[in-house]
Amino acid sequence: MNSEEKRALDAVVSRRGFLGASASATLAALAGGTPTALWGATEKPKATADTIIVLWMAGGMAQTETFDPKRPAEFQPGMKANDVLSTFKPIDTSVDHIKISEGLERIARVMDRGTLIRSYQAADLGFILHSRHQYDWHTGYAPPQTVAMPHIGSVIAKTLGPKNPDVPAFVDIGQNLEIGGESAAVKAFHTAGFLGSEYGPFLITNPLDAGASVRPAPELGEARFSRRYQLFQKLAAQSPVRQFGSEYQRESWRRSVDAAHRLLHSPSAKAFDLTLEPKKSYDIYNTGPFGLGCLLARRLTEAGARFIEVTTEYIPFKNWDTHENGHARAAGMKKQIDAPVAQLVLDLEQRGLLNRTVIVLASEFGRDMVQEGKPDKPVKDQVSVPAVLTEPKHFGMHRHFTDAGSVLLFGGGFKKGFLYGKTAEERPCRTIENPVTIEDLHATIYHALGIPADLSYVVEKRPVYVTRDGKGKVIRELLA
Amino acid sequence: MRLLKLAVLSLIVCALAAAADVDFTRDVHPILAQHCFACHAGDKRSGGLSLRDYSDVLKGGRSGPAILPGHSGESLLIRRVTAETSPMPAAGPRLTAPEVAALRSWIDDGARESLNGPVANMPWVARLELRKPDLPAAEPGGPQHPVDRFVAAYLRQRRLTMQAPVSDRVFARRAYLDITGLLPLPDQLVAFVQSAEPDKRARLVTALLANNGAYADHWISFWNDLLRNDEGVNYAGTRKSITPWLVAALRDNMPYDRFVEKLLNPVAADDPSGFLVGVNWRGDINASQKPLMQAAQNSAQVFLGVNLKCNSCHDSFISKWKLKDAYGLAAFFADDTQLELVRCDVNTNQFTGAKFLYPELDLPAPPATPAERKAAVARMFTEAANGRMPRTMVNRVWARLLGRGLVEDVDDMDGEPWSADLLDWLAADFVEHGYDLKHLIGEIVTSQAYQLPAIPRRERQVKDYVFRGPEVRRMTAEEFADALSEITGEWPVFAQGIRGTYSRQWRMPSSPLTRELGRPIRDQVFTERNEDATTLQALELVNGESLAHLLKRGAQRMLGELPPAPENLYDSGRVTGHTDTSTLDRTVTARPQTLDIDISDVRELHLLIRDAGSYSPERVVPAWIGAMLSGPGGDVPLSTLEPTSGQVKRGPIQMAKVEMQDALLPGLPSELVFDIGGKGYTRLRATIGLDDQCLQNDISPAARFFVFREKPNLERLVRVAPETPVESPVKARPKKDELISTVFETMLDREPTLGERRLASAAVSTHGSRMSAEGLADLLWSIAMQPEFQLIY
Repeated sequence: MNSEEKRALDAVVSRRGFLGASASATLAALAGGTPTALWGATEKPKATADTIIVLWMAGGMAQTETFDPKRPAEFQPGMKANDVLSTFKPIDTSVDHIKISEGLERIARVMDRGTLIRSYQAADLGFILHSRHQYDWHTGYAPPQTVAMPHIGSVIAKTLGPKNPDVPAFVDIGQNLEIGGESAAVKAFHTAGFLGSEYGPFLITNPLDAGASVRPAPELGEARFSRRYQLFQKLAAQSPVRQFGSEYQRESWRRSVDAAHRLLHSPSAKAFDLTLEPKKSYDIYNTGPFGLGCLLARRLTEAGARFIEVTTEYIPFKNWDTHENGHARAAGMKKQIDAPVAQLVLDLEQRGLLNRTVIVLASEFGRDMVQEGKPDKPVKDQVSVPAVLTEPKHFGMHRHFTDAGSVLLFGGGFKKGFLYGKTAEERPCRTIENPVTIEDLHATIYHALGIPADLSYVVEKRPVYVTRDGKGKVIRELLA
Repeated sequence: MRLLKLAVLSLIVCALAAAADVDFTRDVHPILAQHCFACHAGDKRSGGLSLRDYSDVLKGGRSGPAILPGHSGESLLIRRVTAETSPMPAAGPRLTAPEVAALRSWIDDGARESLNGPVANMPWVARLELRKPDLPAAEPGGPQHPVDRFVAAYLRQRRLTMQAPVSDRVFARRAYLDITGLLPLPDQLVAFVQSAEPDKRARLVTALLANNGAYADHWISFWNDLLRNDEGVNYAGTRKSITPWLVAALRDNMPYDRFVEKLLNPVAADDPSGFLVGVNWRGDINASQKPLMQAAQNSAQVFLGVNLKCNSCHDSFISKWKLKDAYGLAAFFADDTQLELVRCDVNTNQFTGAKFLYPELDLPAPPATPAERKAAVARMFTEAANGRMPRTMVNRVWARLLGRGLVEDVDDMDGEPWSADLLDWLAADFVEHGYDLKHLIGEIVTSQAYQLPAIPRRERQVKDYVFRGPEVRRMTAEEFADALSEITGEWPVFAQGIRGTYSRQWRMPSSPLTRELGRPIRDQVFTERNEDATTLQALELVNGESLAHLLKRGAQRMLGELPPAPENLYDSGRVTGHTDTSTLDRTVTARPQTLDIDISDVRELHLLIRDAGSYSPERVVPAWIGAMLSGPGGDVPLSTLEPTSGQVKRGPIQMAKVEMQDALLPGLPSELVFDIGGKGYTRLRATIGLDDQCLQNDISPAARFFVFREKPNLERLVRVAPETPVESPVKARPKKDELISTVFETMLDREPTLGERRLASAAVSTHGSRMSAEGLADLLWSIAMQPEFQLIY
């Protein structure tokens, strides 16, 4: 862009800034078809956080290989599957009474900033389907439902609005929606549903492309991009039929195009560009797409994002979805998450942002070598696990376990160095203390953000609550 | 003593009643207070009904109005207090005859608030049966069209006058978009505008409706939204796509009653059995979302405008519908004669047989067999006595064409229409014309009401709506994409088997662009599209790949700069591990398939394998086996050549339990390039298939094998028939001025102004006088972003 073009564009942008019309915020207010909020009986809690980052361990993270280690076993041909609870050694953390799994040394060192839940129990949905449990986790409701349920990020975007109008309120990093067989199912919850598409996710499939997604396409280039925008504006001014249509329709449309351009040229857009990160810091995060997603999350938090999700990406049978060779693959996954998660906590802390930002690391359910589902509610097996292990590929947590899973929380009003919930030391390693359901977990997170669990939106004349039937209970013990 | 008191009281009450001066506060309120307030006062609203004060009494409850002023006999209040079985009050003594008489008298006298007050307004009650109101007299010199006679009378009542219809151009744009989903082309528009025929608008409507293909290609999106018909939204088991049936039904303009009957009672092999199956997920399903219950909810919502969602789980808090009503309807679709009611996922040990929502239409006893039950319920939805079915459809079509329904909430047909007579007349006319959807659309589009200037849509829907004309609407995602294809000639390719056709946007899977523009994820019934402008949508339009790509190729095509895509030498079709009878694809079981093609004069062999819908493409092991090049020097195994591009593993594989040697295993997706120039090879022979091992996994492997002679365009792998849905309005090697005119005339239905032409001209030739595809793409974008293009005025 030459200097003259730049000035022209800046004039447009700053005029709007001058008018105080923060583009996307105004748009959100204009979105007409969206349902109205109905505040329940619960008093609106005082927010302890303004931003939330969900670190999504997609595919079912094995809790006994990560944050809930049991007695370790080493692979021996001929060993019995039933004897294997964990395949890694436990390690010390910065909190005396909390041990986690080998391979998570950096997270271990920041455990004194976190709250660890070991008793997350996934819903009983029968024969297990990852995407269905993910839908349940992300909306609080198991599909199918009679209305299109919004993602928790959309609920937060709608209820709280964008924190900085130039940063999309809901950014979703790392999930390709075209993943073969479960594509449609994954799309079904990556949506604002009945809240209306203004509150939908801004999808960034690959964090390395994030900069590009808020930059004119390379084949367009800055100069052509701004020339095109000027042409658009001049034609709009020339249009002999501009008197048609309502001010509202015309304005909201024009404003949305302006908002997009504004976003693409706002200083906040730089937050998306990972190439601007100092190399040293970049390298710490760079364990792969997930690590870079964490870096992007940090940059967007600094720029004023509201809800960010970073996923290790769900691809059937890949990543945390270990149907075979679980030990080796869990080691690989831990390598991907350990450094960036710990660094994200440290960076936000150092920037004074951690106390107003909730970080939630979670997965749709846990895993086990033997048990599919829950001990008292077993479901159809999907993975053939031999009773006696003969090859290394048999060694790992290959079945989907819904009785216990780990959730790790940092910042935003949650306790520090706190452990909640307990699982049995011997198989079945089920939850034996303080079970946590999705509605209670959501209620607690919403509470930290100042949203009551019985807030609802009126859809088809009836209230649809942000936690299932408005029944989520805040787990007070988790909050500082 | 007590008796005496009562007797005296009765005397007084009778005297009052006889004098027809029963006062609400003095006489009625005490009776209600004594007998009813225990359950119906203020916050205590049994059945949603409060009788605490005058306005509450008039409001009524979930079962509808409590009283109909002037009609005590039909008033629910009187019916309930005088009922033979389970009368009101449910507890406590019954009302005495004089008390009932007082209530009756008050109602019959007009249910006034005070003795001298005005008669209460008749509350709105949606009727089940259809009536055909008399046409209001046409005003002298006023419009004769039946719809307009109702509208004129309606406006007259409100002291409003009907405005003049819009211009020919605006009308043509509306009619083309609303009937065919396409913009009128410049030639068509000019011919229409210049025509001097007095009835040219009606003729145009007739001609557009007669274009069966374009009509079906447009209206199918409306139906797909209603019927939840999309690829991939069923997550468990198999559901036969209803698309082929739907396309045929729309092309043939199947009468709507038969259309509904087929959806509810699919009997023949080609019938749309997928509708009743619903959208299901693997695992245990909430009782209220079992396929039977989905069938009940969807059919009631879509065809009758009745919302049964709440009461699929428990008695509704917002309507009269009970849990047993939803189960009663669901039971028509069940194999068992009795269904157990499940309340909020808890079994109740209560059972119901098949029972229709409207007892007037129900059979005395439910039929005995599943087939008979489905046939019976299909009849109840579609029989002439069910006026709700045609009324619901008329209202949906009206809302689609004019932006707002006669009844505003198109899914709640108990709501009051702004003109009940017009709704009923249109519905009766629709039925009289054999449930002909095209007739209905034609009837509306030819009316002046449809042709009135569009009313700007407000930020919020106003209360006390008054019809003044259609609302300004926004193009749908499909209309937007099709319009751009129309001007550029760049249409998406829909591949069926080894054939491809240029097709309208609805055929394609949804994309980020079309989703942001409002195409829904159809795991829900969508009866209205979201037309809001959003930031994410603008980002997609401003900076999204798919639009930029379409415009780039489109502009190149318009300037004749787009090289034709290379044609394949071989296309295997979909190679899977399963027999797939649901598509037209060539399929193999685990058996291999062979290819034997002419490669004389081929210099480079490109062997491509693409995914064709595998659950987990990375785990699929496709193979080129025993590939052999034949030439003057005999046969040469391809595996002895090194590919100039692409990685390949070699080795034996198992296919159909047979070990096959000499396999190339490049993975999925893959492209191998071999340089074979100058060797004189004439044929390539090979076997293709998938390794048995990947067939054993539950990943539904499916791949497609192609051979090309040059680097293929990955979007045009399939051979495509040359016909496009619309012939491009752009001439070959267009002159700049012509081209600019064509662009404006097609996209905006008008010539550019001088100022616009100057801007456009400068934009399309960024370097000297030659037109550049980049500049043209930017012009197309700048016009496509204008409200004038995207809004339907």
